[in-house]
Amino acid sequence: MQIVKLPKQNLDKFIKSLSKFGQIYAPIKKDANTSLFSKIEDSSQIDLGYNRTLLPPKKYFLPPIDTMFKFSAEAGYEEMEHDLNEKSILLGVHSCDIHGLRILDLVFSGRYVDNYYFTGRKNTSIIGVSCIPDDMCFCRSMGTDFVENGFDLFLSDIDQSYLVRIATSLGDDMVRASQSLFKEVGKEEIEEHKKKSNEMQKHFKIDLELYNLPEILDLEYESKTWEEIGEKCLSCGSCSMVCPTCYCYDVFDELSLDGKTGERKRRWDSCLFKDYALVAGGTNFRSERSARVKNRYFHKHRGFVAQYGKPSCVGCGRCIQSCPAKINIVEVITKIRSDAYV
Amino acid sequence: MSKPKIGIFGMTGCAGEQIVILNCEDELMDILKVLDIRSFHTAMSKNDEKCNLDIAFVEGALVQPEEEISLKEIRKRSRLLIALGTCAVWGGVAAMKNEVSRQRLKDIVYGSPGRIFKSIPAQPLHSFVKVDFSISGCPIEKEQFLQAVASLVHGDIPVLPKYAVCTECKINENTCLLLEKSELCLGPITVAGCNARCANCGIPCSGCRGPVEEANIASEVEILKEKGFTLGDINNQLRTFAGPAEAIQTHLAKR
Repeated sequence: MQIVKLPKQNLDKFIKSLSKFGQIYAPIKKDANTSLFSKIEDSSQIDLGYNRTLLPPKKYFLPPIDTMFKFSAEAGYEEMEHDLNEKSILLGVHSCDIHGLRILDLVFSGRYVDNYYFTGRKNTSIIGVSCIPDDMCFCRSMGTDFVENGFDLFLSDIDQSYLVRIATSLGDDMVRASQSLFKEVGKEEIEEHKKKSNEMQKHFKIDLELYNLPEILDLEYESKTWEEIGEKCLSCGSCSMVCPTCYCYDVFDELSLDGKTGERKRRWDSCLFKDYALVAGGTNFRSERSARVKNRYFHKHRGFVAQYGKPSCVGCGRCIQSCPAKINIVEVITKIRSDAYV
Repeated sequence: MSKPKIGIFGMTGCAGEQIVILNCEDELMDILKVLDIRSFHTAMSKNDEKCNLDIAFVEGALVQPEEEISLKEIRKRSRLLIALGTCAVWGGVAAMKNEVSRQRLKDIVYGSPGRIFKSIPAQPLHSFVKVDFSISGCPIEKEQFLQAVASLVHGDIPVLPKYAVCTECKINENTCLLLEKSELCLGPITVAGCNARCANCGIPCSGCRGPVEEANIASEVEILKEKGFTLGDINNQLRTFAGPAEAIQTHLAKR
């Protein structure tokens, strides 16, 4: 992988040059507490030093609510029109979120490929950026504090410059299109990068021990901890909405008043919702809140591991930040683990 | 297929749901194409008071004994009865002081002229009759009403979100007023459907749509107490729109 240097004073010029590769989406500051990915009209809005965005980039490929197709009694099904040539660039994606997208790719490219997801995904290039963890980040534990693929370019902040990893031919085109903005990487920058990497490690405040976790979860299936969390949980769905790997959705139809036409839509769903596991006949196989909370953890750290060989949690800390009841995944797993070994 | 015969009725409330229906200006003609409106006192002069109805939409809470009689009449006439708005579904603001005797409230509010009418503690429709479906909101959301009509006309049970306002608020990427600004927000226990209307404008959720199914009031109260709100403030907010709701009554009875 080729690595070049982009002095920070050239960043804005580089970003402007990217517009010919597609519409840029990047983090902006909404207010003092909140950052979010947004369509960029003016590059000065971009804030690459952000902490974490409220919603992960999944919102662009699996929108919170999306029309899948239209139908009518006369014309039958009518697919939604997508401009397959419309290119986008997602700029400033943290390592954990790139891993999150890779997990969604895995899920939606299974036996039945989800073209609703991939239409936008395939036309979007990813430019990653390094970050400084806060007290809710546990990406290091999840092995998602660095990325090896899933991006076209990755910018690592080394104070005066970015080290730019070029991972794809598209990324190479982007750099070549503004070749004069880039410099060769010298010994000094390598030293600076090492220093920065070491510094980053010092910022981690929490760790989640993954060793043998699926087995421990199986052993602790009946643990009282689940009921304790069930008492606190509000089933508000915040954790699922902000999760970069929660991909459940609910499908429903919206009819016109005359009933002759309608739209089939899907919207984000959550296994914490009471009606998530409600089936025909009124039976609900996870009617207890504690069972639903447990299911969320089991899916991330037990079921997904069995199916795909790794957990579907990337340690981004969003669920910790957004839970009104202060349910903290690291504390929960730590508690379950200690229950198993005490 | 003949058009379903419907009636739109109001008990005690602000008539907000009826106004929302009348405000469906772009859709009113389409509504008339699919519904045969037989009774709608707020909007029509010739109302059929006797005919059988397929659907009765009823807004408002019950605060007078006579209303019980007229509600039961409506129930008898109609195949389906749908509660419209938070007053009809949960009791609404009229029920916020139900723990104070009606006599006392009448004395405070009306003084001696209060003697000429009877008043009962405000109750939602389901305390008196079977309610087939509920659309809450203060007022109801126009889109929910139209979707419900579209479903009903085609013989389906309307599907409205059962999750909390937090879900919509997160989707809109609002800064969390409860966690980041420590405001008294009932978003986690209030049923969605408003697209987090207030939080979108930086105003905390006051719970006007009523509680979600299986609302975890105890946990919400703990969170708010930790944020420094007194139990009195919290209880007042809980009672404001949905005092008679079982989850809220259970919480209030504990203290």
